Amino acid sequence: MATLIVLLVLVLFLAAIFTGGYNRQFLERMRNSRTWDWLTTVDHKKIGILYLMGGLLFFLIGGLEAIFMRLQLFAPGNDLFVGRTFNELLTMHGTTMIFLAAMPLIFAIMNAVVPLQIGARDVAFPFLNALGFWLFFFGGVLLNLSWIFGGAPDAGWTSYTGLALNQYSPGPGVDFYVLGLQIAGIGTLIGGLNFIVTIINMRAPGMTFLRLPLFTWTAFVTSGLVLFAFPAFTVALLLLMFDRLFGSNFFDHAMGGSTVIWEHLFWIFGHPEVYIVILPAFGIMSDVISTFSKKRLFGYNSMVFATVLIGFLGFMVWVHHMFTVGLGAISNSVFAVATMAIAVPTGIKVFNWLFTMWGGEIQFKTPMLWAVGFIPTFVIGGMTGVMLALPPADYQYQDSYFVVAHFHYVLVGGTVFGLFAGIYYWWPKMFGKMLNESLGKWHFWTFLIGFHLTFFPQHFLGLFGMPRRVFTYQTNVGLERLNEISTIGVAGMLIGTIFFLVNIIYTLRKGPKAEADAWGLGRTLEWSIPSPPPEYNFAQTPLVRGFDALWVEKEAGNKTMTPAEPLGSIHMPSPSYIPIMMSLGFFIAGFGFIVRGIPAAVFGLIIVFAALFLRSFDYDRGYHVEPEDPEKGGKE
Amino acid sequence: MAKESNQAISRKPESAMKHILSFVLMIAFTAASFFLVMSDAVPSGWVIPLLLIFAVVQVFLQLFTFMHLDQKGSAYYTIFIIFGIFVAVISAVGILLM
Repeated sequence: MATLIVLLVLVLFLAAIFTGGYNRQFLERMRNSRTWDWLTTVDHKKIGILYLMGGLLFFLIGGLEAIFMRLQLFAPGNDLFVGRTFNELLTMHGTTMIFLAAMPLIFAIMNAVVPLQIGARDVAFPFLNALGFWLFFFGGVLLNLSWIFGGAPDAGWTSYTGLALNQYSPGPGVDFYVLGLQIAGIGTLIGGLNFIVTIINMRAPGMTFLRLPLFTWTAFVTSGLVLFAFPAFTVALLLLMFDRLFGSNFFDHAMGGSTVIWEHLFWIFGHPEVYIVILPAFGIMSDVISTFSKKRLFGYNSMVFATVLIGFLGFMVWVHHMFTVGLGAISNSVFAVATMAIAVPTGIKVFNWLFTMWGGEIQFKTPMLWAVGFIPTFVIGGMTGVMLALPPADYQYQDSYFVVAHFHYVLVGGTVFGLFAGIYYWWPKMFGKMLNESLGKWHFWTFLIGFHLTFFPQHFLGLFGMPRRVFTYQTNVGLERLNEISTIGVAGMLIGTIFFLVNIIYTLRKGPKAEADAWGLGRTLEWSIPSPPPEYNFAQTPLVRGFDALWVEKEAGNKTMTPAEPLGSIHMPSPSYIPIMMSLGFFIAGFGFIVRGIPAAVFGLIIVFAALFLRSFDYDRGYHVEPEDPEKGGKE
Repeated sequence: MAKESNQAISRKPESAMKHILSFVLMIAFTAASFFLVMSDAVPSGWVIPLLLIFAVVQVFLQLFTFMHLDQKGSAYYTIFIIFGIFVAVISAVGILLM
């Protein structure tokens, strides 16, 4: 604690010396700097970019962990990462990829696209949007700090309490999991709530629910799932925190607790979480496929219905993760039937995508390649899913590499392919630059081939009896060749990702500027405004006259949307430093609890409460800007 | 359309006192719950019923002060609350029965 204060004072002194002392000018210079602008922004487009950068960073970290694991499994009896280190790698890989890569990337695209698609100037609660991002980011950093402060969590991403209690996992590892995810989880919950309100309240005139683009629909259902699923996880993490930090016994069977309660709570959250990460990918696919097939989405109403139905059924299937716990034949059968029922709305979606492409004028741009690669890959993952949904068969598959192959086919083949499609598709809208097409195609093909090379053999590894989460295997049991192929496949995904990063850096420097309608085929509202959009998005709120609003106007021979209001000054929210301050408070408090330093924890909570207080009595009502008149050719 | 109806139901601002009072009450109930479990102030058979009563009171404070259930709203409130209850009931029944 004392060291901390000394360091803090030193930093203040240094800042004072280098800036010529505390004065108004220094504050002024800081306020006008770009960094301060990004740290305090409440603009959904900038927050979207922040989410994207944060998500990609953790995606790379999680990928690195996966590479390490595959290197260990390259040969039988390998001793590169064994025992606890391997457990830490697999736990952090799963946790990072789900909570710190997939979810923020989804929120990145939702932030960048949803307000534009519904014709809104921002989300409903810009302040909460910023708060959600910073909580996610600090939660993620806290979780990853575990690598240097006493070891990462090692109880699996599901953190079953039979592995995660103090007596089974000594050291602070699981504490980092509990508090890091708790903080990131609050951010996600806030984000979900924000998008529900945004989509209900902020739609442009004429944008009825059945005219919403499908990505917005899936964002809406996903946000609903976040709202109802995350509380279960919050409660589970809170109970685990009490067990580990304060000596309660919710999950300790020796003291009358029950580890099955954790499993229930985790999967009541965990299964909807699966749909939280896949539904937006479905939405991206629907928009991309319809755009690049130059056709209206086939069966729009049934797509909406299927999305809502998947969201609804998603809450009634969690026990299929627990078939072998021994809950009895009746519960297993009920949940097996419910699980297989989900294949029906998913099937509706797959056929609708195929029929959208049928007879369309298809252009194989990079986003469309990802979308087309997505369909067969996801269908394979879906079919192994139905196989796993049969309880008797699941007794054979469970805890084997077959399960690993299944969920990587849906999570990578579904979510990651979907996210890449979305990133390529909306990149020009977010950054105003086109990504390079040939680098994009190299990215797609190397990643696709590498992916199948890695995960297809894992089905057979599972059927041959290789258990998941185990760091080695014997020679001469027929597992060597397939494991070698699997590890070699990772190189494909790595090279693909490198192409992607090169593409980003290259095009940000030299890429061609994007038009408003970057692909020339835009159907929805986001393509009717400049790329990147001005801070107020729409100079005049557009009037929506049908599904695929921009396409309707194009068909009618109009170049732009019909405005729904006269040109006038626009009210904007002020930037705020409170979100980052509050998140920093949570971060310090979380770290304090983990190292059992109560003064630090109290200090962090004081910052949080100070931020709450400042926010409660903040009477800043924002400011007004005068938009450029689009008719007079305002600067982009 | 959505915007106009939103403005139509906007009301005069409520007093801050009501919010602060509810906030303090909720924190007090939470602290009291902890105290009940940690100390032996009440016989152990009474703890769980008392906790449930505290919980119900807090739910009502939450719904009426912070979520404005006492005011006329749109159908969305009802849809979301019903779905929330539905999910909660399924989860609770699932955990209790299995």
